Order: sequence, then structure tokens, then C-alpha cells
Amino acid sequence: MSGAADVLAPGAAARPVAAASAAGVGRPSLLNLLFVLPYVMLMLGLVAVPVGFGLWLSFQDYDMLGGWNGSVGLANYVNLLSDRIFQGAVRNTLLFVAMTVPAFVGLGLFLALALNDGLRRSAVLRSVFFGSSVLSVTVVTLIWRLVYMPERGLLGTVLGAFGLPEVNLVADERLALLSVVIVTLWWIIGLPMTLFLAALQQIPREIYEAAALDNAGRARTLWSITLPSLKRTILLVAVIEAILQFQIFGQVLLITGGGPNNASRPVVQFIYEAGFRDWQLGFAAAASQVLFLLMLLAALGQLWLGRRQDRG
Amino acid sequence: MATRLGKGVLAAMAAGLAALASPAGAQPKTEITLARFFGSCEADYGTNTDLSRARGECGVITTLVNKFNAENKEGITVKPQVIEWGPYYQQLTSRIAARDIPAIAVMHTAQIGDFIRARIVEPVDADLKAAGIEPSEFTPNARNGVTVDGKVYALPWDTHSWLWHINVGLFKQAGLVDEAGEPRIPKTVDEMLAQAAQMREKTGKPYAVMATTGSGDTANGARSFYSWLYDQGGSIFPGGFDKADLRTPEALASFSVFEKLAQANAITKGLDQSGAIGTFMNGGAAVWFTGTWRIDDMLAAAAKPGSPLAEGYTVRVFPSLFTKESVWTDNHSWVLLRGGSAKPEVRKAAQTFLKFMWDNNLAWSRAGHLPARAAVLDEYAKLPLRQYVVGIPQIGRSLPHEARRQFGFQAMIGEEIVSVINAGKTAQAAADAAQERSEPLLRGR
Repeated sequence: MSGAADVLAPGAAARPVAAASAAGVGRPSLLNLLFVLPYVMLMLGLVAVPVGFGLWLSFQDYDMLGGWNGSVGLANYVNLLSDRIFQGAVRNTLLFVAMTVPAFVGLGLFLALALNDGLRRSAVLRSVFFGSSVLSVTVVTLIWRLVYMPERGLLGTVLGAFGLPEVNLVADERLALLSVVIVTLWWIIGLPMTLFLAALQQIPREIYEAAALDNAGRARTLWSITLPSLKRTILLVAVIEAILQFQIFGQVLLITGGGPNNASRPVVQFIYEAGFRDWQLGFAAAASQVLFLLMLLAALGQLWLGRRQDRG
Repeated sequence: MATRLGKGVLAAMAAGLAALASPAGAQPKTEITLARFFGSCEADYGTNTDLSRARGECGVITTLVNKFNAENKEGITVKPQVIEWGPYYQQLTSRIAARDIPAIAVMHTAQIGDFIRARIVEPVDADLKAAGIEPSEFTPNARNGVTVDGKVYALPWDTHSWLWHINVGLFKQAGLVDEAGEPRIPKTVDEMLAQAAQMREKTGKPYAVMATTGSGDTANGARSFYSWLYDQGGSIFPGGFDKADLRTPEALASFSVFEKLAQANAITKGLDQSGAIGTFMNGGAAVWFTGTWRIDDMLAAAAKPGSPLAEGYTVRVFPSLFTKESVWTDNHSWVLLRGGSAKPEVRKAAQTFLKFMWDNNLAWSRAGHLPARAAVLDEYAKLPLRQYVVGIPQIGRSLPHEARRQFGFQAMIGEEIVSVINAGKTAQAAADAAQERSEPLLRGR
């Protein structure tokens, strides 16, 4: 019976396919490229060409206003390697990513788990935690500068109320970067939380019901059901946040200015200053390539780790 | 047919509306763009055209533009493009590179050399002549600031400099006033530190306040540094403009003043501009290191009932703590950028606006700056507290136009000073770092 069906089915389908082929559908044709041409053009114009131009620029002596002064080979990269401000900027950026990405994953997951229910209170809190994400960097830094302001700031006032000594986060070389980490977490914790909430709602309820029937406790359920189900989302959040946080700039510029003593200057600020303040576009482009490489390595490393875990 | 008729009616209506919108005899409008800093205060001065009501830099410049737009007979509209002071030059440079060039831009004469070398700023001798402005009317300081190789590259707008803004009430409480009740100004670093210790002991307040954390705040440290460097007859380019030397004894001594102030806990740490203003206006520190541009703002603040400055507010030129009497100075000026006013009508409108501004130079100087127009200096000296600053052009110093990347140097030196104040960096380490950082700034330029 099934054999007859198998024989009949291809025969039945063969006529329309043959008709379609005769009309040219399904045949490889260069004209088909027209469908993807707009996207390809956009990619070329907005990504490939600027990336290629940036790479070329990194080997040139290019003054923003004075124009091109010839090729300098690897000189921009050699100068970068010996530039202590750049070395500090790379260190600060890596440190910032190392502090913020796990925090975004951990805190985002914690908030999502805590607020993943149908209560009105949770809905309000979800809006509150997401609310800060819609603010611009200027507004966010304005708020936090008032918090951090020595003597009259909120932080100093609260510490003073408890009889604790004031901590000048922004002016302390050891704490300046941490002050920016706090601001950044407060500002955009909403996105990881929302991604985790969406992922949590995709986990079938039946699995939890089965676990409950097996008398699995909360910790056991979290460890054996929730976290494995969120593995891909955790990876997604980590990759997105790593890429975003490597580009840290606005908060730093407006809160610490990169100081004190270069303790909080990120690579993007270095690029901005080299290119737009000092007009050394070639040098700035070389620093951009280094940042691009760092981001690429971090993203690839996380993806590789994710695939390895999947296979495991 | 009906469609054609409909189109005709619509066209007639459009023409009628256009005719109504531009009555016969009205001048065609010419718009010119004006890139500037000095802040944005549309809420207070958005429609004000009464110069006597305008206070501070922002109030005066906003009112001047409003007044010009309301009163000029040539149908010119000036569109201000207000940029924050900190990233002003970065944004202006980006706009020039992107060919989005304003017709007129404010520019410090310390920056003008780089823009002239890049052929972005053009000579304005012919424009000034067309506008009826005589360069011989400029004060010598202002004329020097805008003249390169015998050509005038900008309309000078003021001479500004670095001051001590003083809370006289706190000086009185600390017993640091003379018989006439005037603050005793220290003449050496040790005297200043002794005063700071006395201030702390008698009032519990720090001696000095200076903004150090905002994006434009590095300029504050640099201006103080330059003033103390010049007081010793020093320069950051002692051997020519191809190489800076920030480890000379004079430079090191300038860095050391900040190190000593920070070690003595005599200067505030970690404040941005608004924090510094708030601290001084609320009586939180005795001396504020800032410029001439704050005089009018502070006079207004001191006049308010219950102000902590009500017991007395005054200013002094940034005092010399070394052998010579000198101070950092700069000028604001108006430049015509290449490509920004290429059309003849725009160029003509720009000239008309420059003439208006020149005629109102005294109004601008009410904010605190010294006027660039020699004829109004006497009037300026009669304004409150100006007797203390009117002599600045005689002792003022600035880097010559040959010194390249002055903005980069200002930011870099200022940042090292911020590190000395906020992070406890030593003066020697700051000088070494500044020396190292100066080399990339001049590399290949």
C-alpha cells in the first residue's frame, strides 16, 4: 500500500515541477541575484566599504583637516603598541567587559526569574527595570553625576546618614571604572532581563509539572530544567552585551572623562580623541582595528564555547 | 479635463498663498548659521531683545542674536547652532570634514593657527573693510590674537583670562583680610598653603574649588598651569615649536603647586562644573579658579537675598606665586570658515552680522570678558569689579600661533593636573606623563 503511494506521489508532483521548470522557476539564474541586491548593496555601502576604508586608513598618515600625507605602513600600529594611554585604554575596556557582561547575565537572569509571574506587582517592576533603558546617555549621566557628587550627592548623603565616610567614586583611581559599571548596569539591565523573560516563557510548563511530580525542589528545578533551557539565551545575552560593552564611551566621557589618571578611559574614547581632537585619523583608525579585533575574538570565543557545550 | 482644471485651481491657490506670504517689497530672507558655545538659555532669553536684561555669557549672546534678527533691515536671519563647550572643537571639525560648514563660528585665537594651517579659516581683511570695521580699533591684545603673517583672520570678540573668584565673607571669617576688609592675596606658594590651613582651621572649608571631572574641565587645570608657568618666565616650547618640554624646572614647579594643594587638602576633588559652581555659590570654598566669564553670573548670585556670597564677592587676576606677574589669556573671535559663506548674499549677511556684533562689543563684555574694541575699554573699567581685571592685557600671555595642537596640549596637561588633584599623582609623574603624551600630539604635524 505504501509502496503504491510512494510511486504515485512523485508522479503526481512531477507534472507541476516540470511545468515550473519550463517557466524558468527553480533554475539557477543570475537574475535571481536581483532579489538580494538591495541588501547586498546596503551591506557593501554601509559595512564592507567603511570597514575596508578604515583598514586602509590605519596604514596612512591622514590628518582630519589637512588631508592625506602618504602611507606610513605599520607605523600607526607600532606607535599604538608603545602608547601607554592606549595600553591603559585596552586594559580598562577588557576590565569593563569582564565586570559588566557576567553582571548583565547574572542580574538579568535573577530579575527575570524573580519577575516571571502574572502578578501586577511584577508587571510594574518589569516596567521600572526596563524604564531606564529608554533614557539617553546624557540624562543617565546627569542623574548619576548628582548621585556621585561629593558632599551633596545622594551617595554621600546616604553614607553620611549611616555615619559612614564619604566615598568619592569618580575621583578615586581604583573606583572610577566601577562607578561607570554601576551606571551602565542601572541603565540597560532592562534588555537582558527582557530576553531572559521571553526565554523563560518558552519553556514548556509540562516539564515543570513533571519535575513537581518527581518532588524536585526549587534549586533542583532551576539547575536541571531552567538553566539548561536558557543556555542559548545566556549565550545570546553574553555575546550581545560583550559587543555592546566593548564600545563603552558616552557614560565614561560624561562622568569621569576617562580619568583620573587614565583609570577609566576606554578604547572608543581613545579613538575619539585621536581622531576628532588631535585630527590623527590614521592613528585613530589603527586603534579602531585593534578594537574590532578584540570584539571579534570575544564574540568568536563565546560562540565557540557555546557550541562546545552544545556538543558536550 | 476636470483633472487639468483642478490642477489649475490648485496652482492658482498656491500662487495666491505664496503672494500672501511674501508681500510686495519684502526683502528675501537670507539665513546664516552661527556655530557657538557659551551655553543654551532659550528658556530665559528665547525672545528677549533687551540687552539691559541679559546676564552672563549665555544671556548676552542669545539676546544679541535675537536683537539682530528682530532689528536688521536686510532680511537676515542668524540661526545659532549651539554646541557644548567641552566637545565644541571636535564637533566643529567633524562638521567641516562632513562639509556641513557653518557660515560663522566662534573660535579661540589659541586654536586659530591649526585651522589656518589647514586652510579652513580664511583672512577677513576684505570682509572687515566691507563691513566698515577698522582693525586699528582692536585692542593690541585682540589684534595680536587674530593676526597671522600680517593678515587678520577673525573679528576679535574679547580678551578673557584666568581669575580667582573670592568669597570675601570666608576670608573675613578666616582672618585673611586687610584693614580695608579686602582679601589678602598670597604672593608665594607657601603663603597660599598657610592661608589654606588657616581657612580650614577657622571655617572648616577648603581654600580652593575647581571643576575637574567634566569633559571640558581639563581646561581649568591647564589655564592655572600656564599662568604659574608664565609667572616664572617659562614655556612649554623652550627649544622651538617642534618639541615640547614639560619637565623644565618651571613646568615641574607649576605641577607641584597642584600637588601641594591636593596634599594639604586645600582644593576640592571630583567636582564637575555644576558642582564647582554650586560649591562656590553656597559658600563651600573660599576661592574659585575660573575665568573672567563668570564675573556677571557671580555678581548676580551675590546680589540675591540670603546668598552666601552676600558678605562680599570679589575677583583678582590669578595671582602670581613666583617671580613675575603674568597670566594666561586667550580671545574669543568670530571666524568665517572656508565653504561656509561661499554665496555672495551669505557673505554679505555675515559681514552685516559681524558689524552688528562689533558695535555691541561692550554689551558682550558685561559678562566679564575684556572688550576687544579699544574705544570701549574705559566704559568697561567702570563696570563692577572690572578695575581688578582691566590691566590683564598688559600682563597676559598666550602661546603663539606657531604652536600646534594647542587644544590637545590644553586637554592633555589639564588631564595630568586632574590626576594630581583627584588621584594623588606626583608632580614629577605628571610631568613625565605629559612629556610622553606630548610627542604623539606633534608627531608628523
